[in-house]
Amino acid sequence: MTDTRTTRSTRRRKDAEAPDRGILSLADWRRRRVRVTTRLTHLILLVSLFVVGLGPILWLAKSAVTPTQDTLRQPLALWPNGIDWANLGEAWTRVEIDRYFFNTVIIALGVWFVQVLVATTAGYALSVLRPRYGKVVVGLVLATLFVPSIVLLVPLYLTIVQPPLLGQSLINTFWAVWLPAGANAFNVLLVMRFFDSLPREVFEAARMDGAGPYRLFRSIVVPMSRPIIGVVSVFAVIAAWKDFLWPLLVLKDPAMQPLSVRLPQLQQFIELDVFLAALAIATVIPIALFLVFQRLFLNGASLGGAVKG
Amino acid sequence: MSSTTTRAALSGVALLSSAALLAGCAGAPAPEASEGAPVTITVSIDAGLEKEARDNFDARVALFEKANEGITVEAQEYTWTAPTFTTDLAGGTLPDVFTIPFTDGRGLIANRQLADISGLVAALPYADQFNPHVAQAGQAEDGSQWAIPIAAYGQGLHYNRTLFEAAGLDPDAPPTTWAEVREAAKKIADATGEAGYATMTSGNTGGWILTTLVNAFGGRTESADAAAATIATDPAVRDALEYLHELRWDDDAMGANFLYDWGTINQDFAAGRIGMYVSGGGNYGNLVTQNALNPDDYGLTVLPLQGADPGLLGGGTLAAVSPKASPAEQAAAVKWIDFYYMAKLADEATAVETAELAASLDQPVGAPELPVFGEEQFAAYQSWIAPFVNVPVEQMAPYTENIFDQPLIAEPRVATQDVYALLDTVVQSVLTDRNADIDRLLADVQTQADALYAKAG
Amino acid sequence: MTQLTPTTAPPPVPEAAGTIEHATGPGRRRRGGLLGWFRGDGPHTLVFLLPLLFSFVLFSWKPIVDAAVMAFQRTNLITPPEWVGLDNFATVLGDPLLGAAVVNTLWFAALALLLGYPVPLVVAVLMSEVRRARGLYSALAYLPVIVPPVVGALLWKFFYDASPNGVFNTIVGWIGVGPLPWLQDQATAMPSIVLFATWSAAGGTIIIYLAALVGVAPELYDAAEVDGAGVWRKVWHVTLPQLRGVLLITFILQIIGTAQVFLEPFLLTAGGPANSTMTVLMLIYKYAFQNSLGGDYGAATALSIMLAVVLAIFSAIYFRLTKSWSTS
Repeated sequence: MTDTRTTRSTRRRKDAEAPDRGILSLADWRRRRVRVTTRLTHLILLVSLFVVGLGPILWLAKSAVTPTQDTLRQPLALWPNGIDWANLGEAWTRVEIDRYFFNTVIIALGVWFVQVLVATTAGYALSVLRPRYGKVVVGLVLATLFVPSIVLLVPLYLTIVQPPLLGQSLINTFWAVWLPAGANAFNVLLVMRFFDSLPREVFEAARMDGAGPYRLFRSIVVPMSRPIIGVVSVFAVIAAWKDFLWPLLVLKDPAMQPLSVRLPQLQQFIELDVFLAALAIATVIPIALFLVFQRLFLNGASLGGAVKG
Repeated sequence: MSSTTTRAALSGVALLSSAALLAGCAGAPAPEASEGAPVTITVSIDAGLEKEARDNFDARVALFEKANEGITVEAQEYTWTAPTFTTDLAGGTLPDVFTIPFTDGRGLIANRQLADISGLVAALPYADQFNPHVAQAGQAEDGSQWAIPIAAYGQGLHYNRTLFEAAGLDPDAPPTTWAEVREAAKKIADATGEAGYATMTSGNTGGWILTTLVNAFGGRTESADAAAATIATDPAVRDALEYLHELRWDDDAMGANFLYDWGTINQDFAAGRIGMYVSGGGNYGNLVTQNALNPDDYGLTVLPLQGADPGLLGGGTLAAVSPKASPAEQAAAVKWIDFYYMAKLADEATAVETAELAASLDQPVGAPELPVFGEEQFAAYQSWIAPFVNVPVEQMAPYTENIFDQPLIAEPRVATQDVYALLDTVVQSVLTDRNADIDRLLADVQTQADALYAKAG
Repeated sequence: MTQLTPTTAPPPVPEAAGTIEHATGPGRRRRGGLLGWFRGDGPHTLVFLLPLLFSFVLFSWKPIVDAAVMAFQRTNLITPPEWVGLDNFATVLGDPLLGAAVVNTLWFAALALLLGYPVPLVVAVLMSEVRRARGLYSALAYLPVIVPPVVGALLWKFFYDASPNGVFNTIVGWIGVGPLPWLQDQATAMPSIVLFATWSAAGGTIIIYLAALVGVAPELYDAAEVDGAGVWRKVWHVTLPQLRGVLLITFILQIIGTAQVFLEPFLLTAGGPANSTMTVLMLIYKYAFQNSLGGDYGAATALSIMLAVVLAIFSAIYFRLTKSWSTS
């Protein structure tokens, strides 16, 4: 079980002391053959990553402002007949990408809130308050990790169509996407693990000072759990942005659909250059968020791995 | 799964046809003496309407409510699709009035998933004046009319005039036999490198177009009494597939992309990558407004017919009422259908107003369609909207001048969409596998279709 | 991390696992019984657990139970469901498409494993040796993961245009390879889909491997060098064994993930051409949501349960086999 704090400090140590050692030792680096080969490999790797990782996105950006015929006849040429900025405007207004974009944001925010709420309150209750039946609840939550999500698809859909207590169906409401998002076992376990690693003395001290469970949660646990809330948030927002099958099923009304659901259907209605412009607009925000919050994304992604390992 | 005929029907505002009506029959209904409690009905409207179209709709609603005190109309953006229909019904998100394609009409009626409004329909003044080929799509086994046809069209062969010219063909003299189609396709492919002929193959459209081809070759995919599928037994099915196989592999005239459905083939045709393809006759609207087709490129002609008993597959749109509607709601719903959908076919004033609005919104007016009522009324109707027609009628003349000579056939009646889905696979196999064993594929489909027919009883 | 200094009272004797006692001082037993529960934290704990219980009961546990039940019923949402025993399973097993779906899913999993398992590892190992601007490498590798899968799929669908002017055909044309059919041929459709799926997901795996690689203790490499190991031997004898835990976990996660592949074939080929890319999940979707007579929910849940059981058995065998190899 990797201790997350050790990994973090190890990494910090590595970043601080360069040159450090990985597989290649300092002695290895001094050997010219190793150095040249490694540098060359890295160069090739970098170029490959540029082409493979960035290439398609750059192509999309270029084609978003290219007329249809040019994209079809000379897809890799750079604007042989000039740039067509109108595509972007048309995608935004005629195709109403702004509305679907807005829907995507609303969905992501709601999902984020629900997931953070469920994970932190549950993690707190199970890890800090530790009720006697806690083990049972954790076991049941853990068990759901072993059930592939496809098993839930149809019954969950029918639950949304005919919810048990409510009189009416939740189809075509954002609740149909927000509420089921909370039942995420991975988040709960992640937060529980994190809370387990917090020092008990802090809680004990606070309780000695007379803090009730709510105060303890609000004033101590939540501020201490910023890192894990960050990770859960990143996962939640990314997952909500990418979600396709579930919103496809429950959000039938085009006015409520997020980008991921609407874009494939739009392909039938609009010409190629406007469609590519719409795709480009749909990609801009996630990429922009990524570039700004790179560290958070990558730490979160690797933390997931460290926890798994 | 795209409902192909729904899309065709929804493509333009002007879905106008003719009615052998007395002049003042349809249109504003007589004011209704309110009998009993007020009634509210939800009616479906297309999603994504432009503002003026929506305003116009609201204005018509106001007119209707004024003429029918006690009825309130609420609009709901709704597009009917077969797979989600039962959940819509169970979840209560189905409007009281909605439109369905011809393809699904009889199946829904047989399953009692539409309200039986036949009594109310029979009371309408034009009830016995429907074009019988068109009306049968909304009839139950006993001939009672459970759903009202509001638009009809026939399949046609769309072609790209510019590609024709580039291949040295005369765009005003499109092919009239399937052999000529094959020649033209090869010439276009050789001269321009684009697909000379293309066909839809996925999302159930493959089976739909194959059935169209089979009908044009003189065969049927279903026995006359709708008791069994004739896919492996009717030679025209094999002929149609052989024809496609030769076009694809021997002539190399079908280009390199084959996974087309209704929307993507329109897109590629509008982009000038396809010389000819078969689809609903009213596609012009979609091609121009949504896929940016250059109107000068467009040509439309009738499908060549050959063989012993060929026919033209027709399609269209029905207006239906939800089975959950109460009798009062059903009565109100039929009044709405009469007012909103039928008036623009039958009443001159409404027809003119609708055409004028569509023209002002740059929607195509006058795209080819088939009469819901009789031919003379259709002619009268055409004269009403003549001032607003903005489609290149001369380029569509090969179709409009010959369409009435072609016998109209209805789509297969049993398990239509499911059989289409099975045929999708066959068409895809033939186009992507040079050594596809057509007989074996057809035998497989026949077996599975037999099971479907047996289940439907 | 913020640390609170204790105030006046001495800290209680730390107890095993740190149960939070009500502030009654060290050594006192918790007040027993229902009354104690009420007066203690009991109700408050329940309040904190309410969001979890609400979410899981309604949207996780109940649906799982429902699925097990629905697999033995016929549901049409209008009339009450009727019990049909094993009929749904028989329908599913008798469906000619099931064989194709299973084979295609296995084929996808195998190809995805072949391409998507070693390549991220190699890339991660190379990246771990980068001294300057490793962040740039990481960002570039992770970028395809950020692109929403729907956008990626629609983009690649265009790239895969089979005409000579298609994007990929133009590129392979530069090296003299003729236009390839990509998605339009039954043999090449699935590999094309796997190529896209790998592009889309490899970045995440690379980052995970990278984090694990950086965590390998340098002393192990020192020790290996003392024994005279060259670069390759160090990788083989130190790096890979240290990564064993991560490698085993990502393997099984990849298998479970690829068994449920849906979005890529759905958007790129809709299961075609001729059902050569139809997967098990697409078949479930077809049963439930593409049935023109309304959904066959019984068949859909039956197939889901069958898939879940197969995956469970596979995972059990896998963990038993790898127990001795895992370091955790």
